[in-house]
This record gives sequence, C-alpha cells and structure tokens, in this order.
Amino acid sequence: MDVKKVDHLAKRIIQVMVGIVAVLLVLIIGYILVTGLPQESIDFLFKPSQAVKAGGGIRDQLWNSIYLLILALLISIPLSLGAGIYLAEYAPDNKLTHFIQTLIEILSSLPSIVVGLFGYLVLVIRFNMGFSILSGALTLTVFNLPLLTSNIENALRSVSDEQREGGLALGLSRWQTIKGILLPRTVPEIITGVVLSSGRIFGEAAALIYTSGQSAPALNYLNWNPLSPESPLNVMRPAETLAVHIWKLNTEGLTIDADIVSAAASAVLILVVLLFNILAHYLGNKLERKLTGGK
Amino acid sequence: MKDYNIVTPKEEIRISTKDLSVKYGDKLALHPTTLAFPRHQITALIGASGSGKSTYLRSLNRMNDKIATVEGQILFENVDVNQPKINVFELRKHIGMVFQRPNPFAKTIYENIAYAPRYHGIKDKRQLDEIVEKSLRQAALWNEVKDDLNKSALALSGGQQQRLCIARAIAMKPSILLLDEPASALDPISTGVLEETLVELKKNYTMIMVTHNMQQATRVSDYTAFFQLGKVYEYDKTVNVFTNPQVKLTQDYVEGRFG
Repeated sequence: MDVKKVDHLAKRIIQVMVGIVAVLLVLIIGYILVTGLPQESIDFLFKPSQAVKAGGGIRDQLWNSIYLLILALLISIPLSLGAGIYLAEYAPDNKLTHFIQTLIEILSSLPSIVVGLFGYLVLVIRFNMGFSILSGALTLTVFNLPLLTSNIENALRSVSDEQREGGLALGLSRWQTIKGILLPRTVPEIITGVVLSSGRIFGEAAALIYTSGQSAPALNYLNWNPLSPESPLNVMRPAETLAVHIWKLNTEGLTIDADIVSAAASAVLILVVLLFNILAHYLGNKLERKLTGGK
Repeated sequence: MKDYNIVTPKEEIRISTKDLSVKYGDKLALHPTTLAFPRHQITALIGASGSGKSTYLRSLNRMNDKIATVEGQILFENVDVNQPKINVFELRKHIGMVFQRPNPFAKTIYENIAYAPRYHGIKDKRQLDEIVEKSLRQAALWNEVKDDLNKSALALSGGQQQRLCIARAIAMKPSILLLDEPASALDPISTGVLEETLVELKKNYTMIMVTHNMQQATRVSDYTAFFQLGKVYEYDKTVNVFTNPQVKLTQDYVEGRFG
C-alpha cells in the first residue's frame, strides 16, 4: 500500500475509535437521563428520603454530597498545593523524591474500597470519630490528595524554565516567582484537575459507606448551629451521600419505589457533576483572565 | 600573532571580573577570566557554541548559583558581588537580564512591567504608571502598545515580546543590562528594531550582550570579547577585533573559518 492510503486508513480507524467512545458516552448518559428525568420533580429534590414507604426524596443526601465535597476540597486543595509546589519546585532530584513520587502514584491507584476501610479502621474506630462527615471528608482527602498533588506538580513542571529565570532575574524571590508568575499560568490546568477530582468525589460510594455512614438522620435546615445533631452544618453526624444512597437502594433498599428513586437520583448525580464542571470552567476562565489579562 | 590580546578599556569601568571561573560538577566550563566593561557602552561576547560566553554572562548576575560553582571576583560598585553574603535579589535589581527567547509572563503588558517594581516596594499607582510608560518608551514599544496595556503580553509578536522583556528589565532601573542572544529568536526586521533600541539604550545603560551574529556585533557593540572553549582569547574595541585581530584564533573565527 502506498503512503497516502495508509495515512487515510489510519485516520479512518482513529475516527471510528473516537466514534465508539462518543457513542458509549452518549448512550450511558442518555440512558440515565431518559430513565431518571421523567421521575424527577422539583419536589423530589426538596423532600427527605423514605426508608420503606414510596415517594421519598433525596434532600439530605444531595446536601450531604455537596457538603462533603466542599469539605474534602477545602482540606485537600491547600495540602496538595503545598505538596505539588514542593515536588515541582523545591524537591532535590534524588532517591527520596522519586520514592515519594512513586508512593503518590501507588496511592492514586488504590481501590476506593481499600481507602474506605482504612478510613473506617483509623478514623471511625481508632480516632473514635464515628460514622461522620468528618471521617468521610478525611477519607476522601486520602483518596483525592495523590491525584491533585500530581496534577499540580505536573502543571508546574510544564511551565518552561525561562519563566522561572525571568522572575529571578528581576530580583524576585523563588517563592514570589512561584506565587506570582508560575501559579497564575497553571490555573487552567489546576482547575481541570480539581473538576475531575470533584466528579470522582461526588460520585464516590465505596470510600464513604464505612466512613460517613449509610444513614441520613433528618436535618433541620433552619438550624445553623454546627454542634447540633440535626444541623446540616454539623460535621460529626453520620451522613449518607447521594452515591451511597443509590448503592443502598439497589442492594438492600426496602423502599417500594427503589428503582424509580435510584434512577432519578442517578440523573441528579450526573446533572450536578455536569453543572459543577461548567461552573468551575466558567470561574476558572474568569480567574485566568483576571490573573493573566486573557489572550 | 599573539596568544592572547586582552585590553583594559580606558573609559570608566562599570563592572569587571577577576579570575572568574565556572565549573559544572568537575568540568571546567570557563577558565579564570578577567574582563572590564566600560560604562554606557555595549560589549559583545562572541564565540562558537559551548565557548563559555553565556556561562560567563549568567554568572554576572549570579544566575548560575546552585547550577554551577563560580569562583573568582565580580567587582561591581567596588564590591565583590560573588560572595555568599551578597543579597542576590538586591543585586539583580541592579544587573538586569534579557534572555534568548522572549519570556513575557502570562500577565497583561502593564503587569509584566509593574509586577517586579511593585514587589520591590513601589505601591503608588501613579508612580507605577510612570515607570511603565517610561520603560516602554525606552524600549521603543510605547507607540505600539499604549492602547493595549491591559491586554495579555502573550498576544504580542516575538519582536514586541522581546522589547517588552527589555522594558521589564529596565523598569527596575538597573545600571547594567545583560543580554543573552536577545535577537536569536527574531526575524530580520524585528532584529533591526531591537538593535536600534539597544543603541538608543546605550545612553543610560551599560550592556553586555552574547551574540552568535557577527554582523550584529559589528553593528551595535563598542567592545568585543572572543571566547573559545571556555577561554577569552581577545578583548578589544570591536573595530579592532574585526578588522585587525591580534590572535590567530580570533581571525579565523571572524573570517568565518570555523564556528
């Protein structure tokens, strides 16, 4: 075959592969939305779930998922920023650094159920935190840290050394160069990393079953005292998330309309992740424009 | 012909080195080098790739710290600045640098220039505006960008970016400007504009410029140092180095027989 034909064939094969991926995605998302959305009503989002009776909502689960996500990000973003900056900018190129990087890689491929059981044994039992939002958030941090750290490390490494030298040559300190010149440049990549990990966190069930627990005590949304057990802000209460709720409905759910509720809840899960994606990119672009003057 | 021909300029000396040598690990990249640079003149450092000219240049503002071992003296304002106790961040305010490839920051044109002065303590908006305008004018970029100061510097052309980098360096009011092949990534027209800018800047700054382009050296520089394999063989007025070199190696190089 001549070069032109081979080239043409290669392009066709690649197109078919892309097509398969795209079709699969559309089918999955489409199926979830088509089966889930018709069951949906605004009401569904704002009423509490039912253990046995039909007609339960997902109010508390949805809130728990969002609250856990926010807490997990609040803990893991600063930590991974520090770790990522250290690994990319300060760490000497030696065995210890490579060892740490290998550990991070291993940690990031740990099955989430293992992370969940680790959280159960250490946080829930040993540290006596019980099934709680805090246990869940810390477990999610373990789960999230390696990914975010390597995301930030790679983002910084991708900035050319000329930028670092440019900053240093102006008499800026190393830290000032990192903070003022390198980090603003990496904002889009870091945002993408945060969005991806948020999607994972939001949809995570296995790591939370044994840490934040499987029960959702009814919350009183007028109670803003974080120490009260019925307050949505309380971090020491057990909290079933949306993903755990879906899992539970399908495995041991006693609810009569489990199928309908779980289909609807799945659709909500996907929509929230999508919404979060769009929002994060919008904010990321705005932030980038503010920091860099756009392009 | 001679083995070496290194003159000491008659003009006032702004910065000089005494037996400055650079080692990368065990490898000696620059043999002890003694050169003196005259005030408000342009000195070109020429030589083949790997001759040590960039290594030498980068040592002058201590950019080789932590990368290489730099020994010997760098005399600037009667102080040996090649000592551990010297505050390099302060030193680099006085010895600015422009790099081979334009490296504007991912910021607006205004911020590219104002960022470092603000960090070094100038917070007044009017004063910063003034610095930005003056630096851009000196770098011959003001007329092209004065309406776009809040646009990203990355949208500028290569030649404009390089002049922005010069503006950024002179915004710190350095007395010395180091230029590491500043035109090597530019097209001939941008190079011409850049060279005119450099000649204009001579009124206020002492410049040391590494260049691969010998025509460029003859067009803009007053003095020329010829480097070969980590040693300086000839240092004299540019016109002498190019028309009447005293060292055989220099003659071969400027006549294009190697390099």
